[in-house]
Amino acid sequence: MPLPDTTSKPRLAWIILIQEVRGLLMSPALWTMLIVVSLLVGYSFLQAVDLFSRASRTALSYAELARGMNPQAGIFVPTFGAYYLSQTLLLPFVAIRLIGLDKQSGVLKLLLQLRLSTFSLCILKIMAMGLVWGVSMIPAAMALFFWHRLGGHIFVPELAVLLAGHALYSLIVITIAMFAATISDSLPTAAMLCLAATLGSWVLDFAASGHGGILGTLGQVSLTGMLRQFENGLLSTGYIAAFLALAILFFMLTVIWLHPGRRRSAKIGKSLAVIGLLGAGAVMAMLSPIYTDVTENQRHSFNPATTRALRQLSRTLTITIHLNPQDSRLLDMEQGVLARLRRSVQKLNIQYSPSSSTGLFQPAESDQYGLIQYEYGGKKDQSYSNSENEILSIIYHLAGMTVVPDPVPVYKGYPLVADASGSRWWFYLYLPLIFLSIGGYCYLDKSWRTTRQGE
Amino acid sequence: MDESVAGQQRSEFGITRISKKFGSYTALQDVSFSVIPGEILGLIGPNGAGKSTLLECVAGLLTAATGTVWWQGRILPLKKRKQVIWYQPDATLPFARQRVVTTLTFFRKIHCASKADLNRLVRLLGLSPVLKKPLETLSKGFRRRVQLALALLSRQPLLMLDEPFDGFDIRQTLSMMDLLRSYRDKRSMILSIHQLTEAEKICNRFLLLDQGRVLGLGTLDELRTQAGLTADANLEEVFLAIT
Repeated sequence: MPLPDTTSKPRLAWIILIQEVRGLLMSPALWTMLIVVSLLVGYSFLQAVDLFSRASRTALSYAELARGMNPQAGIFVPTFGAYYLSQTLLLPFVAIRLIGLDKQSGVLKLLLQLRLSTFSLCILKIMAMGLVWGVSMIPAAMALFFWHRLGGHIFVPELAVLLAGHALYSLIVITIAMFAATISDSLPTAAMLCLAATLGSWVLDFAASGHGGILGTLGQVSLTGMLRQFENGLLSTGYIAAFLALAILFFMLTVIWLHPGRRRSAKIGKSLAVIGLLGAGAVMAMLSPIYTDVTENQRHSFNPATTRALRQLSRTLTITIHLNPQDSRLLDMEQGVLARLRRSVQKLNIQYSPSSSTGLFQPAESDQYGLIQYEYGGKKDQSYSNSENEILSIIYHLAGMTVVPDPVPVYKGYPLVADASGSRWWFYLYLPLIFLSIGGYCYLDKSWRTTRQGE
Repeated sequence: MDESVAGQQRSEFGITRISKKFGSYTALQDVSFSVIPGEILGLIGPNGAGKSTLLECVAGLLTAATGTVWWQGRILPLKKRKQVIWYQPDATLPFARQRVVTTLTFFRKIHCASKADLNRLVRLLGLSPVLKKPLETLSKGFRRRVQLALALLSRQPLLMLDEPFDGFDIRQTLSMMDLLRSYRDKRSMILSIHQLTEAEKICNRFLLLDQGRVLGLGTLDELRTQAGLTADANLEEVFLAIT
């Protein structure tokens, strides 16, 4: 008997993609998520505009205060914070269906017999989920529209990075959910595994806040910590690589473990190879990151002349800090001047000497507590100041440099007193109703007769 | 029971010495058989005999510890099995919330079957009244018919069906048997059946399986001879005699 004519692979892929999208659209979990997202985004947006407006009333009278009025931090980050919640808590329940339902219904055994590879099948599922993710961005798009209509300022590069961060975060959550569904026997178990990963990351970030050392580092590389880098507008190849590596890792693990007809030893071998390759790649990228400050006010960067001067330092600059990791002065320095120095100075050695104080209200055990010592090219200096200007002037002095700052446009800020309450009907009523109607149609139209068909 | 490579080459499809273990439990042990073009081979055995495991190993959906699958005299590697074999598992409920017609159309498209093929199957299987209903709301019998339609929409030369008549009454079973026979000229079939009276009516040859081991392979007459029974013995008596 001759082999039959078969559907071409691109057409087969298209048919399956349509089916995957159809399956997701029929999922009550999706429409529930969209309704909740609409409410959350609306609440976050309205609150953010209200707070921004209150702060702007004073800022409009004082230029110095106005410089702090940044719509990215004041409006967009909190508005997209609603997505963080939904991506962490709700998205897994939608994404788990991609694999879990196929396994539960037995359809996976049919799909695996098609001429598509497991890799292609998983790619199609991710693509279908990407489409759904796009739909979930409708409330955010509406918030942007209302903000623009109120006369608010939008700086596209910073917003694009924020959006990219959430896209990558969602991608990781989706791939974790797919992998959890692959290795679980039931949907509830998969949901628990996925939530353990996303919530665990959240808890890790929370526990690590305000801590240095290993816990602080772990917090930075937690999913939540990595997303925060995108919220801050500091684009780092290291964090992009880490995000992508994690997403690819869980995707590849799904591909490897999905097919029940492959030997376990081969699956373990391939998994270890993927973990090794991606881990090595991510570590390399994180060890030598390239940063781009996409913020409009360049708040993560020194003056360009300062950056140029610091990059010319050919010897090792050693800074010894006598502060405890929990000390707020050290935390300020870590997020400010030290982070910038790390990105600008090629050979930087920061040492910590934290044993000199026992707590906030206890007397210092050593007179050195709070001291910051500098050494460059055999010259030494020290100071108790953690001011950026003071620190830079000490470094210039040690290096024998004179730096004249480049003239840069002054960021004036974008204070705006606005009332967004008119948009609340869209977020609290119209959008949820639209989602409910479409979801109801997709759900009920397919199962409009629930009476059992007898024979 | 073993068949040589030469034996495999005479047949269209065959497997040699397939074994499968789940931990220390041996589900299949050195199972070998072949399928002659256009025949319906019945996998006969009680529940837990290893019928479904065997079909899934052959389809490549389960790993076998040992064994080779042949197609037209050549080894059929795992990656190429999907070109030759379509396996319809028992109790699958694909896209249960969708309307039956949507699911059928999806499988028609992926199998590159014609609309006429689908319409014919819908007519022969009596699916017209339930086309617009979700699969999950159908009775067991109608679900079986839909599963049978999905299987018959496939175009691979070898079709393997797991318990295809489970859930049908006697009339429906006879009707479905007629339908399967009408497809025999296009493809070979392996049917996993635990009801012996049904198997006797439709299968050309039988593979008797118990506790993962092949106890007999052949036509009913050949099995009668093996069991030492007279010509009027039915499959049930043969099975009991051999096992």
